[in-house]
Amino acid sequence: MLSVMTALLLVVAACGDGGAESTTTTGGGATTTQGGTDTTGGQSTTTSAAGPSGDPIVVGGTLPLTGGLSATGIIHQIAGQLFVDRLNEAGGLLGRPVEWNLIDDTSDGARIAELYEQLISQDAVDLIMGPYATPNILAAMPVAERHGFVLPQHTAVLAPALTYECQFPGWSIGPAPNEFIPNQLADLFDSMDGAVSTVALVTNEGGSTSFVSYGRPDVEEPSTSTILPERGYEVVADIPYPIGNTEWGPIAASLQDAQPDAVLVMGLGVEANGLIEAMQQVGFTPPVMFALFPAPGPLLGMGEASNGLLSVSMFEPNEPILADLDSELVEIIEEFSQRVADAGLPYTVFETQAAASWNAWSLLAQGVEGAGSLDHAAICDYLHENGADLPFAGQVSFDQEQNNFWPSNQVLKQIQDGDWVVVWPEDQAAAEPLAPTG
Amino acid sequence: MSELQAAIFGALSGSLFAVMALGLSLLWGFLKIINLAHFGMVLIGAYLTFEVATSTGLDPLLTVVIGAAAMFVLGAVVQAGFERWQVSEFNSLLISYGLLIITVQVVSNVWTADFQRMGTDVNPYGANSIRIGALSLPLPTLLAAGFAVVLVVAGKLVLERTYAGRALQAFGQDREIASAFGIDHRKLSILLAGMAGATAAIAGMLHALGESLHPDAPFEWVGRVFAIVILGGIGNLTGTLYAGLLVGAISGLTAAIWSPSASPFVVFSMVVLALVFRPTGLFPSKAVH
Amino acid sequence: MRNRGWIGLALVAVGLAVVPLLVEVLDLSTFYLVFLSGILFWTAQSTSWNILSGYSGYFSFGQGAFYGVGVYSMAVLFGRHGLDWLVALAIGGLLAMLLGLGIGFVAFRLRSLRGEIFALLTLAVPFILAALVRLSDTIDGGQGIVVPVPEFPEALGSFQSFFYVCSAVVGVFALTVAFVMERTRYGWALFAVRDDEAVAEGLGVPTFRHKMIAIAANGLIGGVSGAVFGLNLGFISVEGTFNLTVPLFVIVMSVLGGRNHWAGPMLGAVYIHTLQNRLADSGFEGWSLIVLGGILILLVVLAPEGLMARMRRRPWLVSGALVATLLGLGLWGGWGQPVDWLAVGLAAAVVVAFLPSKRRSGVTARARPSAAERLYEDETPGERGRPLVVAEGVTKDFGGVHALRGVSLTVSEGELIGLVGPNGSGKTTLVNLIAGASRLTAGTIAVDGTNLAGIPQHRVAHLGIARTYQIPRPFSTMTLRDNVAVAIMFGRDPHGLSEARAAAEEFLSLVGLDHLAAEYPGKVNLHERQLLEMARAMATRPSVLLLDEALAGLNPVEVDNAVRVVRRIHDSGVAIVFVEHVLRVVNQLATRIVVLDHGVLLAEGDPAAVMSDPAVVSAYLGKEGHARSH
Repeated sequence: MLSVMTALLLVVAACGDGGAESTTTTGGGATTTQGGTDTTGGQSTTTSAAGPSGDPIVVGGTLPLTGGLSATGIIHQIAGQLFVDRLNEAGGLLGRPVEWNLIDDTSDGARIAELYEQLISQDAVDLIMGPYATPNILAAMPVAERHGFVLPQHTAVLAPALTYECQFPGWSIGPAPNEFIPNQLADLFDSMDGAVSTVALVTNEGGSTSFVSYGRPDVEEPSTSTILPERGYEVVADIPYPIGNTEWGPIAASLQDAQPDAVLVMGLGVEANGLIEAMQQVGFTPPVMFALFPAPGPLLGMGEASNGLLSVSMFEPNEPILADLDSELVEIIEEFSQRVADAGLPYTVFETQAAASWNAWSLLAQGVEGAGSLDHAAICDYLHENGADLPFAGQVSFDQEQNNFWPSNQVLKQIQDGDWVVVWPEDQAAAEPLAPTG
Repeated sequence: MSELQAAIFGALSGSLFAVMALGLSLLWGFLKIINLAHFGMVLIGAYLTFEVATSTGLDPLLTVVIGAAAMFVLGAVVQAGFERWQVSEFNSLLISYGLLIITVQVVSNVWTADFQRMGTDVNPYGANSIRIGALSLPLPTLLAAGFAVVLVVAGKLVLERTYAGRALQAFGQDREIASAFGIDHRKLSILLAGMAGATAAIAGMLHALGESLHPDAPFEWVGRVFAIVILGGIGNLTGTLYAGLLVGAISGLTAAIWSPSASPFVVFSMVVLALVFRPTGLFPSKAVH
Repeated sequence: MRNRGWIGLALVAVGLAVVPLLVEVLDLSTFYLVFLSGILFWTAQSTSWNILSGYSGYFSFGQGAFYGVGVYSMAVLFGRHGLDWLVALAIGGLLAMLLGLGIGFVAFRLRSLRGEIFALLTLAVPFILAALVRLSDTIDGGQGIVVPVPEFPEALGSFQSFFYVCSAVVGVFALTVAFVMERTRYGWALFAVRDDEAVAEGLGVPTFRHKMIAIAANGLIGGVSGAVFGLNLGFISVEGTFNLTVPLFVIVMSVLGGRNHWAGPMLGAVYIHTLQNRLADSGFEGWSLIVLGGILILLVVLAPEGLMARMRRRPWLVSGALVATLLGLGLWGGWGQPVDWLAVGLAAAVVVAFLPSKRRSGVTARARPSAAERLYEDETPGERGRPLVVAEGVTKDFGGVHALRGVSLTVSEGELIGLVGPNGSGKTTLVNLIAGASRLTAGTIAVDGTNLAGIPQHRVAHLGIARTYQIPRPFSTMTLRDNVAVAIMFGRDPHGLSEARAAAEEFLSLVGLDHLAAEYPGKVNLHERQLLEMARAMATRPSVLLLDEALAGLNPVEVDNAVRVVRRIHDSGVAIVFVEHVLRVVNQLATRIVVLDHGVLLAEGDPAAVMSDPAVVSAYLGKEGHARSH
């Protein structure tokens, strides 16, 4: 009896693929008339009213749907799926429907190369979309390069390492995030009338965050740890911590000793939550608090403790920003939130991660439409020559000298009364930054 | 001062890991089962606390009653399976690994892969602490230390004062002889595994008090918890508690004096040294050799 | 049987060699090269793990350390510093091997090393390495390393086929090492360690050296395989390298496939890697881990000894099912891709392997010729000759307890000494000391003129001491023949496996067990196990045989038979020290009797004189009833 069950399980596992159809979504034939600009393909000529027809164009990609990175992986899944659905409603690509062949890479970087090889050479996808998070994108890059595939990606931070000429970012902190971020922060601090003069740097030793804090190990280059002192902010504590750290108490105790005016948590996920709680427990509340790449939801649930916390953002759907936004983008933002809520996720706002996803998909679609074919060299050339009109970044151009990382449109956001609000730079702000506490 | 504070922080959070380690150590010591599924039960316990507290507004501490009952049953059922198929020590590792990944997936399907966290409205303990002079004792881990002490004392009483406990000890030492004395191993081991499951639920509840929840969390616990089990001596309850406090304190001190990144280096080097020089654990007890 | 093994290995190697051709001819995509490389990577990792942990029984949780050292050597030396990739590969393998030797040197010298302690020691190592990499600025600077594509011979065409060739070479190398070990002393020493390390050492197996060889092989292969795999990773980071995936999966694959066969880990790798690949692509979002976990549990419950053991029972049916399914689906061509066919074929193979069998392979009890009939009956005691064992002032304390105090004893050629005394008088302690199994507190013991102080136990065996245990301790996973063969392989006159197996028959017939040569120890009775102890001890070609209560628990008929065997051994020119309670037997057999009481030598001399010694009568005989009731 047991053996029959095993056999069944094995067969089920084997048949699951069933010719690579089950994960993919075929565009419905429905015709949708849309007003305004076509957000999916800026220069598109073939889409608009006609429904897609012919063989589907298959886009392959992996995302961490399980494992340590899955919390963000599902955001990119929902955003990408929404894009594909809307693209098909708007006529697909080159008049053909688009399918997304999405594979779960289980957050395991060691599997990325094999899976992309599978997508490109075995499943013979027409296009690819990069995986989530810098290490995985770097693992997929050589495979794409080997096959000459254009690699749009949404979330790589380690810009100098992304040397493949046909890699195109949907999110850019500029070619040197290690300089952009501290300078932007220093600009904000400058505006605070001397409330900040000392800072503490608390850094996750993972690639992206450590790069922002310290720059690359083999290169003499400015970074947060050198730029802030240059701009007059003394670093009174510099604490690196390992990935997966759960012990914030000792760090909080050191911070209390150092009494910095601003604590910069160069971390990921819920690390800032842990540190804030630990600081509360020792009774230390820094006047200014910044977190680099936090999970946006859990911080909002902390009430008063996280109010005023700063972070980076590419896009926040704040009221004043929404008011200026194209109506179709507003619709996308709403539909995304609806889908996220349907999936049962606790935080449903369309923000940086989803915007990055959208940009990456969008530049891929524009490249294909612009080149008028699925020829990767042509798509790559087209993007280099014409740039792309990214829905959540505007018109950008891809400079190979800068590894295609365009000048950043990144802003600073802040938690104000339970919402993330863009507060810097002034010309893009939805609200004034809160005055430093204490 | 911050060094002392860091050591206290560390020791207290070490006691949370000790609570996680208790059940694992008991099953390994007495039943020769390396139960990775224990981490899965901690995870379920944590999410049950989150779910019940968030949806009913019940005090998260009280939710442990539900979690402990559920995990008692789950632990007992798993052990019944181990008994039924006469699973060997290392096959138990494999099977329980299978159970663990199933648990992770189920949790992820039920509560999503995103971070879940009890808001301050339902969790009055999260960011609170008790202050003694300039020192502060964070409430979530202080509670963990309290539970750890209670569990260890209760566990020792049961093991030393009751027939079932003594029978289990006999079994931990020599299965064949104990069987010859007519001890019903099956019932006892199922009972013990149930209790271990209940401690997993307690550990989960304590974890949920202070941390954001993520389905993948068990894989972050494994290393530290195993270190505590070994340092404490497999099957040794008080040793496990001491090891938890010690590992935590050293880890906290290292973080404050050297660097948080050095903590795992110091802790695991200590494990190696302890294994080399004190292979029966740092805190030998008379109960189990 | 032996030939079939070689054919199997050759088939694997040839099969892997023709894959690139096959890919070309069938116009398969390069994915299959990378997919197979993945299987080969896991094959090398789990096979190397199995060489140490499967063969010797010391479970390691530290495979990630060897893998990580290999990956990081490639990333740092080749990726970051631009060294030649082959040099980086060699250094990676070497460093991992040295790491293995270091771990072994610390762990295997622990006197009280138990399996779980080793497991946890090895668990700690990857964590320490990961922390070191993080702490150090010089290794990767904390941000990971991009690994470029190395230059490879143009004849290989693509990077994918280059990567495949490298993986195949490493994979086949790993399998060959495992295969050769399984057929030589290197493997059998580890099997003996797994079954009973102390007994193995006592039979002359240099256990430490062989464990070191195993962990060195584990490290070397793990490191080289990691370094090769690093070429395809693109980007290396601490958390991507030193995580639980590799240590856990090598265990999963080896145990699932079967730890007792060189091809077991490979089988596990094929199953798990294919399954994972298909699950990732299956669209069972939210189910993949549940299916994987479920299959794992079912297979372990169904085949606790591994798939290989199941499949070997009907190899033709199993491979037939696999090939037929593959060909059938391939020729039909109406569904899926080759990798899907493979998955279904593997499933079919499992089903066939688990189909209930009509034939019971149980033991059929054959009529045995009476062993006693073929034993000598003459009773001429040997002449006393050259001294073989000289013990002087032997003292042994356990904590505060004096087990032996100043005992002196000489065992000479041709003697058959009866060592008697009440329980706790120190007889077994003395046997342990002469066998080199424990260390003296004071005094000296010399065997054939060599002082035993500081000499490892297996060397004592080579000096000519062999022993049996009161409660027989056979190697439970080996047949009776192989139990004896191990002793021959590592004895004073060592031989290879096949010669040893042939010679084993001789020693089994010496004790009258030749008809049970193919049986496992669990299937024979206590008396036969005790005879096996003697056969195994004799197989080391000792000059002195220490028999520790070889008659305990036997019925009178069996006692008589055993006595005949002892006499026969003695007649073959081996001196015997015979620890015994049954005085009737001692009196009848011994050329000399030595009486111990409370750790002190009470009397010695010829049987008649000692037995009439008043001190012996009062001290020993008075307590005999008590002693015998035990």
